[in-house]
Amino acid sequence: MLKLFSTFLRVNLQIALAYRVDTLVNILLNLMWLGWELLSLGIIFSNTEALGGWGVWELIALLGVFRLVNTLMAAVIWPATERFNASVRDGSLDYLLLQPANSLFQVSFARTVVWRVWDLTLGLVLLVVGLNRSGYAPGLIELVGFAALLASGLLVIYSLWVVLVAATFWFTKFDNNVTILQALLDTGRYPATIYPPWLRMIVTFLIPIALATTVPLQALRGDLAVWQVLLFLAVGVGAFFLAYRVWRAGVRRYSGASS
Amino acid sequence: MLHIYRRLWAVNWAEQWQYRANLLMYLLYWLVSPIIYLVVWTTVANSQGDVKGLTANDFVTYYLVLLVVDQLTSDITLHVLASKIQDGTLSGELLKPIHPILTNTLMNNLAFKALIFIVFLPVWLVLVLLFQPDFSAVTWQNILLALPTCAIGFGINFLLGATITSLAFWTTRVYSLHEFYYALAVLFSGQFVPLVLMPPVVQQIAQFLPFQLMIYFPVQLVLGLLPPDAILRNFALGLMWLTIAYGLFNLVWRRGVRRFSAVGA
Repeated sequence: MLKLFSTFLRVNLQIALAYRVDTLVNILLNLMWLGWELLSLGIIFSNTEALGGWGVWELIALLGVFRLVNTLMAAVIWPATERFNASVRDGSLDYLLLQPANSLFQVSFARTVVWRVWDLTLGLVLLVVGLNRSGYAPGLIELVGFAALLASGLLVIYSLWVVLVAATFWFTKFDNNVTILQALLDTGRYPATIYPPWLRMIVTFLIPIALATTVPLQALRGDLAVWQVLLFLAVGVGAFFLAYRVWRAGVRRYSGASS
Repeated sequence: MLHIYRRLWAVNWAEQWQYRANLLMYLLYWLVSPIIYLVVWTTVANSQGDVKGLTANDFVTYYLVLLVVDQLTSDITLHVLASKIQDGTLSGELLKPIHPILTNTLMNNLAFKALIFIVFLPVWLVLVLLFQPDFSAVTWQNILLALPTCAIGFGINFLLGATITSLAFWTTRVYSLHEFYYALAVLFSGQFVPLVLMPPVVQQIAQFLPFQLMIYFPVQLVLGLLPPDAILRNFALGLMWLTIAYGLFNLVWRRGVRRFSAVGA
């Protein structure tokens, strides 16, 4: 599987290098948006000391985490969705299913946007600087907890995506399947605790963007009890388990548009 | 001519109606940011009473009116037209004895808007119930006055959008260019926050640019926050930008079409 993954990566790197100028333009646009994000935080915090109890550096750390989540979306999930929807419609998914490797793995990682690694790096830098300047000195256990919660949050979002695209096996015309995920993603830029209850419910339980953005940082802030951390971790594993079952059922139901 | 517009309206309405599920998703996508900003700024205002004199209610009314204005002045030309230029299907439209953009694309935009509003109005009413704004400062006169400003704002946005899209005759990177245009709009239109809270430099520049005519000016007008001379000045500015945008579009379009036929697409 690792070998397959590295082959996928090499192919995608070649694609990115074939369109060098586009890659450069994309990175510049990305930097421009980063500038805007920082400016908008600057505007908010020139008018207040704290947003729902979070200081400016904490929000910069949150922005870093948000960018990690966004990387997962932009580098893996959006390109994979586009290809997948098209391949169910025209039946070319047949060829993929015939391959002797896991179908979900292939669908997810065959086409990734490599330059987004840049975004990943930026996100990590923002996270580290933000945490540092807000005066955190997290110990090893806290860091492991944070990483585990982040991974579990990402896993929940990924699982939701799997269910949404697997729905295409039942409803072929459902090619808006990920828009809802895309739409609510932006809520991850700010702590979910400031949202009114109905919106907080949506981004925590229904389209759980907050699980990967706000929740891990809350653990570092010490806002969460141990049982809550364990619960969130269990939710991550459970979600993926369920999603994988749905995917398998969908593949079994798929009859191929060409055959 | 009116007859042509009526036919094109019917065609584009039917076309957009086919994609009504997409409309719903688009609506959802576009609603989220203003609501986030609304929540962010009301949180700040509530925690300290006001933000430079703006109360929580000022922010709620600002963003709720903004949602309507933004929908009225928004433009989808890039998504309708760029692919037609790139894959050559524009040829068919160029054969017709009418301007394809100022008729067909314009009507497509308007049909899209009309359909969106059918879905959007109930959603907007739900938001009004959720956020309980106090709209007592809004008068009918102001709303009536704001309608032509929204039309001007849409006109400018449509023509500038069409100008950028027409660059597809030369480059494949119109989407990136449009993203840059959109970033300018985010910065200067008042979409993120009422412009009075922006850094002074941004405010200084914004008052000469067309972007605030698409959001900030109509919203402020509806909320009754503008003195008569500011209204007049912005009307004049709007007409000026409309002329500039039209001139710019004509220039780029004419040259682009000539180039288009030259490569024989």
